[in-house]
Amino acid sequence: MSEHGHDHDHSRTVKPMVDEITDFEVLEIALRELCIEKGLFTAEDHRLFTEYAEHIGPTPGARLVAKAWLDDAFKELAISDAVAAAKEVGIDWLEPTGFGTPSDFVAFKILADTPTVHNVIVCALCSCYPRPILGNSPEWYRTPNYRRRIVRWPRQVLSEFGLQLPDDVEVRVEDSNQKHRFMVMPMRPEGTDGWTEDQLTEIITRDCLIGVALPRPGITTNVTPLVRAAIRPIEA
Amino acid sequence: MTDAAERAQQLALVSRLKTIFPEVPEWPTPDMITHDHYLAYMKTSHDVGGELDYPHPYENKEEEQWELMTYVLCEVLGMRGIWVSEERRRLANVDVGRAIYLGLPYYSRWLWSVGRLLMEKKHISWGELTDRLAEVQARYAGGLNGQRPKAEPKFEGDGSGVSRNKHHLEAAGVGDPQCFAGQAGVAKFNVGDKVKVRDLPAMFYTRTPEYCRGAEGTIAEVTYESPAPEDEAWDREDAESEWFYIVRFNQAELWDNYTGPKNDTLQTEIPERWLEAVG
Repeated sequence: MSEHGHDHDHSRTVKPMVDEITDFEVLEIALRELCIEKGLFTAEDHRLFTEYAEHIGPTPGARLVAKAWLDDAFKELAISDAVAAAKEVGIDWLEPTGFGTPSDFVAFKILADTPTVHNVIVCALCSCYPRPILGNSPEWYRTPNYRRRIVRWPRQVLSEFGLQLPDDVEVRVEDSNQKHRFMVMPMRPEGTDGWTEDQLTEIITRDCLIGVALPRPGITTNVTPLVRAAIRPIEA
Repeated sequence: MTDAAERAQQLALVSRLKTIFPEVPEWPTPDMITHDHYLAYMKTSHDVGGELDYPHPYENKEEEQWELMTYVLCEVLGMRGIWVSEERRRLANVDVGRAIYLGLPYYSRWLWSVGRLLMEKKHISWGELTDRLAEVQARYAGGLNGQRPKAEPKFEGDGSGVSRNKHHLEAAGVGDPQCFAGQAGVAKFNVGDKVKVRDLPAMFYTRTPEYCRGAEGTIAEVTYESPAPEDEAWDREDAESEWFYIVRFNQAELWDNYTGPKNDTLQTEIPERWLEAVG
C-alpha cells in the first residue's frame, strides 16, 4: 500500500479509510448480537426503541412554548406540571417503556424566563437533556468545554453564541445533574403580534429552548452552523 | 498486530500517552503525593464544572448510525431491567478513568459500559465477548465494499432465566421517580432554608459536583424522593430513598473572582445526604 518502508505509524494514526469498519461499529454489533442471543432483549424490543429514538426532535418543545405564549392558562400548566403540558403537544414522558426512558426519567420541568431572569441549561456531569420533547442533544452541549465553562463563566459562553444580556437580568444556570430534565421557556419577542401558533413555533429554535439564544422574528435556525460530518450517518 | 515491527510501533504509541501530573513521577511513593494531588486523582472524571478551558467553536455533529444503535442498545437494556441508567453513567463517565474519558469519543464510552456491565453481571464471559469481536472483525476484514455493517445474531435467546432488576416492573405505569413517592418520610429542608453542601470524602461515584462543596445556598425547590445516585449507580435496589432539592447559589459567592453581576445565580439538584443546615 505505502511506498515508505516504515509508514505503519502514519497509517495507524490517521482516520480509518471510509470503507473499513470502525472499532466502535465492531463493538456495538458484537454486544447487540450477544444481548439478543442471551435473551437480554429481543430484536423486536430493539426495533421498538429505535423507532422511538428516530422520531424524537425539538418541534414539540417549540410548539409547547408557542402554545404557552398564546394561552396564559396553558403557560401556568407548563410551569406547574410540565409533564401534563407535554401531553398536550403529544409527548408522553412515560413512553416508550411505561416508566419513562431509562435516561430521561419523568421529572420534566420548564424554566420560564422573565424580564429579570434568563435561564440556561447544562448537565455539567454528562449530557442530561429532555430528549422526549427536544430530541437528542447537540454535540456541543455534551462537550467538557461547554460543561466546564457555562457554570462558571456563563455570560462569556453565552456571548460566544451571540447572546449578551444586560447586567440587570439575572443569568441563572440550571445544572441538571439528577433526575430532573429541564427546558427553557423564553419570553415572547417583539414583532410577533397576531402570529399563529405555527409561526411562533418556527422561531423557537432548539438553542432557544436550551437558553443559548433568544427567539427573534426571522430567525428559524440554530446558532452554530458548524456541522461535523459522520463517516456512516444514520440510515434514512 | 501481526509482526515485530507492528508490535514495536504500537508500544511506541502507547508510551506517548501521558495521564499523570507532569510534576509527579510515575509510580510515586506515598511521600511524593500531597493531599491535593490525591484529591485530584480521586476526583470523578465526569465532574468538570469550573475546570479551566478556553473558547473554541461549538459544533453540531452528524450522528453515526452506530451511535444511534449504541443509544438504543443502552436504553433497551434499561427497558428490560438489565441496568438502570445510573449504572451506565458510573461505568461510562467515571470507571473508564480520565484518559479514556477525555481521549475517546462520547458514545464509545457508552459501549464500553455495556460490555463491562454484561461481564460484571455475568451475562457474558470474556471468551464470549472476545470471540465475537474477532468474528465481527473477520466478517468485515475485506472491507465494507460500500455496504453497511450489520448485526447478525445467530438466534434469539430465551430470556426467561435472565436476572433483571425489580425497578423496570415496579415503575411500570407509574414512572421514575414517581415510583419512590412516599418512601423518604418528611423532608428535612424547606424552600427558603439556607443550606451548606457537605465536603464529604466521596470515593468512586457521586453527582454532587466539587464546584459546590462547602458552598452555602438556598433551597429553591423540594423536588422528589428517590434513591441517591450514589446507590443507584451500584444497582442497590435495597437503598432507601431520600428527598432531593434544587439548591440556588449566588455566583459571586460560589466562584472566586466571578466577574458577572452580583445577582447571577446557579442552581443544581442535590440529595439530602449531601446537605446540612446553616445557622
